[in-house]
Amino acid sequence: MGVENKSTIVALSTPGGFGGIAVVRLSGDKSFEIIQNLFKSKQQLRHRLAIFGRLYDKNGYIDTAIVTYFKAPNSYTGENLVEISLHGSPFLCDLIITACKQEGARGAAPGEFTQRAFLNGKMDLSQAEGVADIIYSASRSAQTASAGLLEGKFGEIISNIKSAVVDIVSVLELELDFQEEEIQITPKDEIIKQINAVSAKIEALINSYDYGKICREGVVCPIIGPPNSGKSSLFNAFLKEERVIVSPSPGTTRDFIEESIRVGDYQFRLIDTAGIRDTDDSIESAGVSKSKDLLNKGNIILYVIDISELKANVLQLSDEISEKVIYILNKSDLAKPHLISKVKKQFAGQQHYFCSAKYLTGIHEITSGMVKKIERLRQESESVFITRLRHKEALDMARKSLMKSVDSATADNPSEIIVIDLREALDRLGAILGKTTNEDILNNIFSHFCIGK
Amino acid sequence: MKHAFENIVVGGGHAGVEAALVSARMDINTLLITMEKTAIARMSCNPAIGGLAKGHLVAEIDALGGEMAKVIDITGIQFKMLNRSKGRAVWSPRAQADKNQYSLEIQKRVMNQDNLSVIEDIATKIVVENSRIVAVETINHGSIPCKTAIITAGTFLNGLIHIGMDQFSGGRLDEKSAVGLTESLNKIGIKSGRLKTGTPPRIKADTIDYTKVLPQYGDKDPIPFSFQTERFSPKNIPCYITHTTKTTHEILYRGLDRSPLYSGKIRGVGPRYCPSIEDKIVRFGDRNSHQIFLEPEWENANQVYVNGFSTSLPLDIQLRGLRSIPGLENAEIIKPGYAIEYDYFPSYQLKRTLETKLIGGLFLAGQVNGTSGYEEAAALGLVAGINAALNIREEKPFFLDRSEAYIGVLIDDLITKSPNEPYRMFTSSAEYRLLLRFDNADMRLSHKGHLLGLINDHYFKTANTKRATIKAAINFLESTTVCPADINPILQNQNESTIHSGVLLQKILCRPGFHISALLSFFPADLLSRIRQYKGLDDQIEIDVKYKGYIHRQIKQIDRFKRQESLRIPGSLDYSNIKSITKEAREKLHKFRPETIGQASRIPGVSPSDITSLMILLKR
Ligand SMILES: Cc1cc2nc3c(=O)[nH]c(=O)nc-3n(C[C@H](O)[C@H](O)[C@H](O)COP(=O)(O)OP(=O)(O)OC[C@H]3O[C@@H](n4cnc5c(N)ncnc54)[C@H](O)[C@@H]3O)c2cc1C
Ligand SMILES: Nc1nc2c(ncn2[C@@H]2O[C@H](COP(=O)(O)OP(=O)(O)O)[C@@H](O)[C@H]2O)c(=O)[nH]1
Ligand SMILES: [Mg+2]
Repeated sequence: MGVENKSTIVALSTPGGFGGIAVVRLSGDKSFEIIQNLFKSKQQLRHRLAIFGRLYDKNGYIDTAIVTYFKAPNSYTGENLVEISLHGSPFLCDLIITACKQEGARGAAPGEFTQRAFLNGKMDLSQAEGVADIIYSASRSAQTASAGLLEGKFGEIISNIKSAVVDIVSVLELELDFQEEEIQITPKDEIIKQINAVSAKIEALINSYDYGKICREGVVCPIIGPPNSGKSSLFNAFLKEERVIVSPSPGTTRDFIEESIRVGDYQFRLIDTAGIRDTDDSIESAGVSKSKDLLNKGNIILYVIDISELKANVLQLSDEISEKVIYILNKSDLAKPHLISKVKKQFAGQQHYFCSAKYLTGIHEITSGMVKKIERLRQESESVFITRLRHKEALDMARKSLMKSVDSATADNPSEIIVIDLREALDRLGAILGKTTNEDILNNIFSHFCIGK
Repeated sequence: MKHAFENIVVGGGHAGVEAALVSARMDINTLLITMEKTAIARMSCNPAIGGLAKGHLVAEIDALGGEMAKVIDITGIQFKMLNRSKGRAVWSPRAQADKNQYSLEIQKRVMNQDNLSVIEDIATKIVVENSRIVAVETINHGSIPCKTAIITAGTFLNGLIHIGMDQFSGGRLDEKSAVGLTESLNKIGIKSGRLKTGTPPRIKADTIDYTKVLPQYGDKDPIPFSFQTERFSPKNIPCYITHTTKTTHEILYRGLDRSPLYSGKIRGVGPRYCPSIEDKIVRFGDRNSHQIFLEPEWENANQVYVNGFSTSLPLDIQLRGLRSIPGLENAEIIKPGYAIEYDYFPSYQLKRTLETKLIGGLFLAGQVNGTSGYEEAAALGLVAGINAALNIREEKPFFLDRSEAYIGVLIDDLITKSPNEPYRMFTSSAEYRLLLRFDNADMRLSHKGHLLGLINDHYFKTANTKRATIKAAINFLESTTVCPADINPILQNQNESTIHSGVLLQKILCRPGFHISALLSFFPADLLSRIRQYKGLDDQIEIDVKYKGYIHRQIKQIDRFKRQESLRIPGSLDYSNIKSITKEAREKLHKFRPETIGQASRIPGVSPSDITSLMILLKR
């Protein structure tokens, strides 16, 4: 009883919007039949061959296209698969997808191509996740991370962590399964030290999640500041000066206006806090929970100040948040040189840029400053960073179990109790990398200790 | 009557006797075929029963109506509770056995058992019709019809003994090997493999210099294996400890060129947890000394077992090696150490009832399943015996899962892992270790033994009473508040911090290092006398209270485990077409044919994502 795919699915597999080329994919038993009805070309469609031709629907000609046919099981999904490359226009894509549906395909659910690939044995679960990351990655850095996952670089780090835990468990199990006369007992303090060392490693990995998330979903950049400091103007200036991308990810919240720009390797999600002003006067007093939430979620906070209005109190921010702030000293066109140097002194030690949102000066300096700030975050995290929430959660739970085992050891619980939490940590890590079995632990014992009468 | 004998047990070792006794007690007309009556229940190796995790098995065998615990309680000559310095869950009893008395006592029970006949013969062939066993062929008694048969041939199938470069056939030293049975099973499609084990030399007790060795006694206050043993005051005969020296290692090292292990003569896989002395010096060359335990083989024995010196080196090396050990300078060898290679049947071919998947009514138990040890063998024999009886009675099979017993862990490991080195029970193999204790085996299992008719009403009720008492005591501790005036003197006495207002007794007991004995005076008299009625019940109450959180967690895990265990996989499932699982998993699943999703998930090479795919498919 194999996987029978009664349905043939279709979907746009490149990000929406206008672009160079868009790819529409069809997968399932009927995909070949469907494309035959829609595509006219001089050459016959053949396995793995890219064929140039024209697409037609009931109403006539749609576009020129290159169609590649992959015969099951030698395709990405393991099923009959057709890739249609056409010009990147949402309108044209819609037409061809509709035509496919009329011929009997149905729209694919998110991730369904990958799911089918998984079910047909084309990849294992962790590879499937890696592919989902590539598809949804917002930037090239995340693509590298995704590739790392596929190649098992991330797996290597986790498995190092895992084997450190296995070592500790082995030492404790050794004491339980072999008579005192046969073995040496490891002092509890030493065990605790070892557990703490592993959990520090896990913690570093957990911290890398923030960077990983940035790579996947873009850098969240709320623009805050007093009314009339020029927030909306700055927002628009960015859109004029930088490459705007149509973000596939939904806006953070409906209360704000969000647009994305791409600078270097990164996608920045600019958020104008316009909505707030209508209800309250400024972010200080405003919709407290919403704006606080935004401050917490933000990866970079652009704090806009009108330099001619410097008397206005600068908002007091917590350490955690102020680390994320870049001060934008706006309306430099209105400022006298001596004012500029005075302000410079005032903001020494904090990342700040002068600009004129109105006359579009200093905007590139700000964006390259933003990139610099993100790069610094990257250096602080592991060379491989985690990008999936599932992994972060698993690591979080593993660390919690390790901390519990430390408490347990400190409370002088017997080894078979301490081991329960350690084994739970292993189970959590196993959620990422596969299970640790008793055999793994026994093998480890046999290879490291001389036991047995 | 077509079947004079309904169930035939081949082999009177530790597996065979439990199988034969239990099947006869379940009213099945049973025949035990064994090569030598006087060798029934012989201890091939060390004169001891129990040990870490193995003691748990013995207690479980007892709670299900087996013999091992009762007989060692009678014939043991030194008892010791191991791991006393660790938590209660890993306490496990071990006893030195008078190995002659042990097998005599078992023989007596076998001979006196109703429905059980014993013949001396060698089984050579299994007769199968329509994928079901119909008879066992023997050398002297011809073909004997049966409905079921249990093969418990131990180390005897094509047994090959090695001492140095010498090799000769034998099932144990001075006993013949059994030929024919393996080939017969192979012919009907059951695969076999080769394993190896070894034993140390036996030496003359009066050639030991006792001034140079350290006596080691058992517990002064010994605890019996069987919960049915009353009035227990066993002997306490010492063992002696000594150790190998650098000279010993040099001597042995120089003999390695004549070692069957290191010269490639032995192909069977040996147990890593029971390495030979030559293995230890090769693999752990940095150690200058290994411990040696001198164990008497019976009361007033002149034959001593040299525990820790298992070897298959040539006799001259064995003797010189021994004589370099303090206290053994003048030792004389009675029987040399040796290694033995034998056939086994990889255990993926078994159901959890120990019936073969291929041939109905054919059961395999004991060392032939790839285990090692008397206790493992006895446990398997018992389960096979019960199931053969149930099979004949056409009743629902009996099995234990991993959350119920070490026996469940043992069998599940066998059928889902199919180890290819001799399998031994470890406490670390039991994920629900905290709940599977030696001291609660009767409370865990005697209702099952009772249901099978193997545990009498009295002991069944005893187990129930114990359970009820524990529950009452826990309730009391969790609902009774003590005031500072009453408890503070006790706390001060133990250098514990005092309290300032009333506190639940349970809270006091949960303090690290605090023992329940200090709280017993708070119990009402009747409850206290109920607790004192059974030895060790107070400790059990303490564990349940102290580790309640952990116990609770294990119980929750068991719920989840049981759910997976209840997801059955149709026996007809064709794995070759399932593309969503890896090739390796497909092959493994095809080979093991797991009965449940739970079992599938424990097969090495089957990953969680394979299980996810399998579950998606089964749900469709
Ligand atoms: C040399 C040696 C070293 C060992 N070392 C260790 C060790 O270090 N640690 C450990 O835990 N265990 C050890 N053991 C294993 C231990 O002895 C066994 O695990 C245990 O005895 C197995 O019990 P059993 O009932 O399966 O088989 P056995 O006790 O071997 O009994 C098998 C019985 O079956 C009979 N039999 C066999 N074939 C036939 C036939 N065809 N027809 C009729 N009767 C037959 C034999 O006569 C024998 O009575 C060792 C065994 C040996 C021989
Ligand atoms: N001269 C000058 N005026 C600016 C600049 N940026 C914004 N303004 C003006 O300041 C006013 C408030 O700007 P707006 O972007 O709406 O501020 P917001 O309330 O912070 O969003 C508008 O009249 C803008 O034209 C600047 O760089 N120079
Ligand atoms: Mg605005």
